[in-house]
This record gives sequence, C-alpha cells and structure tokens, in this order.
Amino acid sequence: MSARGPEGVEVGTLVPPLELTVDPEKMKVMAALLSDPTPIHFDTRALAELGLDTRPINQGPLNMGYLQTALTRWAGGRDRLLGFRVRFAGNVLAGDVVRAHGVVTALHETDRGRVATCDVALDVVGGATALTGTADLLIRPVDESEES
Amino acid sequence: MSEPVVEPVPLPEHQAQVGREFPGGTYALAPWRTWLVADTLLDDPWDEVPHPVLAWMAGVSGMGMTWDELFAWFDASATDGPMFGEHHTTLHRPLRTGATYDVSGRIVSVVRKVGRRAGTFDIVGYELDLHLEGAHVARCYNSIVFPRRGAA
Repeated sequence: MSARGPEGVEVGTLVPPLELTVDPEKMKVMAALLSDPTPIHFDTRALAELGLDTRPINQGPLNMGYLQTALTRWAGGRDRLLGFRVRFAGNVLAGDVVRAHGVVTALHETDRGRVATCDVALDVVGGATALTGTADLLIRPVDESEES
Repeated sequence: MSEPVVEPVPLPEHQAQVGREFPGGTYALAPWRTWLVADTLLDDPWDEVPHPVLAWMAGVSGMGMTWDELFAWFDASATDGPMFGEHHTTLHRPLRTGATYDVSGRIVSVVRKVGRRAGTFDIVGYELDLHLEGAHVARCYNSIVFPRRGAA
C-alpha cells in the first residue's frame, strides 16, 4: 500500500531532488542480473582498450531507475508511476554524483485518479545532463480522492 | 546522442528485421530479484512493491534471447559499444512481487543516421509487452544505438 501522495501540487511544483553517488560494484550486480555482456560496465581494461575513461559506464537502466526513484518517492510509492519517457543524452561514470529532479508541467483528472505530468532530468553534478524526458505520476488515486 | 544529425539514411539490409518477433517467454519477479534491483539502485530493498525499472528488466530478461543474439540480428556485438537511445514505459497496472509475467516483443524500427562528430550509427527500436493472467500490464519501448565505425 502506498503512502498518500503529495499535497498542494500545482503546475510548477518541484519534485524534491535526489542525489546519489554511482557505485561501480552495483554495476557489476546489474550486469549479472541483466546477463549483460557489455564490458564497458565492469571491465576497466576493456575501457582502456577502447580509448575511454577507465571508470566504468553506468547502465542505462540504473540511470533510469534513479530518476524513477525520485519521482515515485515524491508521488507516494513505486506503484504511482504510469508513464516514463526519456532520452539518453550522455554517460554517467563510476564515482559521479547524479541529481534526479523534475517539475510538474500539467495536471489531469483520469479514471485512475489525479495525474501529474512532469518534465524530468538526471544530471551529473558538475557535468552534463544524462537523461531528459517526461513522466506521468498518479498523485491521488481514485480511492484516496473519495476518502478526502 | 545530442549532436545535430543530417537526414536519416534508409538501411535496407536491416529493414527486413522490422516486425520480427522475439521468441518471448516468462519472467518471475522473485523476491530476491526485486531486492537486488532496489539495492543496485541505492533504493529501499525491503519495499514490497517492485521498483518500476523492473518492467523493462522483465521484458528484456524474458524476451527469449540473449543480448548477443539480439545484437547479431544487426551484425553487431557487445564490443561495438551499443548504447541506449530512448526509452518509454507505460504501466497499465502496478508490478507485483512474486508474479510471473508473460513476455512478448518485436523490432519496430531500424534507421541509419550520420552525426557530424559521432559518424554513422544505426538506431534500432524494439518494444516489449508484459502480460499477467491475460491482462496487459506494461509496454516498454527502447532504442539501441549501434556505432557503425567505418560505414559510409
């Protein structure tokens, strides 16, 4: 069961930012979970042979996941994400600090309840934007709306 | 891929893959999986609701083929450095820990582009559907960018 969604949401409301430090050991676990053979996520020797920074490159799903975590914590639970659209604009490397954030751009009443559409992004602190996109979050399900 | 690109170039040798279905299969959101995925995301592993990134993970893990096999459909390999391009997830219903999802999917697009700095690359779009007891739970679209070093 989710906690209640955020109160007083309006266009322009900010999703509280979430900052995380990217841990290369987590990339190894994710590579195993995905059966992902791509060596840029764990093999520093392979990165050097490709002429790249030898810090492993974070998996796209991890970058997406950080952003989804920030959004769903704000919305009241992991079951509140209805739609998520992102474009991968840059890499995130081991040791980077990333900042997930968003802003409400529209509100809709739907058959599932009140939905907030947000512009969202994941930035490398002191660096470039890694992900940009939009997301739809259920901030007040129909059953909770009926209670209030 | 943020740099400007010139007009897309048709890619006839791989266009035949558009519409090709993945073998498909199933994927179980076993508690150990949901725990480890949340932990890799530095999120709460004890939350009983699966992290939404598992919609995509369930799709690719249950599509019935390996990444190497998928890359080979496009004459590419993991050592070419394939990258994520875009991603869309639509969740019609929340994910459930312990549920086993039926997975199906297909290639939906193949486009070649040329960037001023990145050179030639191919963008392959695919979508994956999750069903549970006949109900459509989620659809994920993703694109993979394949660098084509040395291509015209």
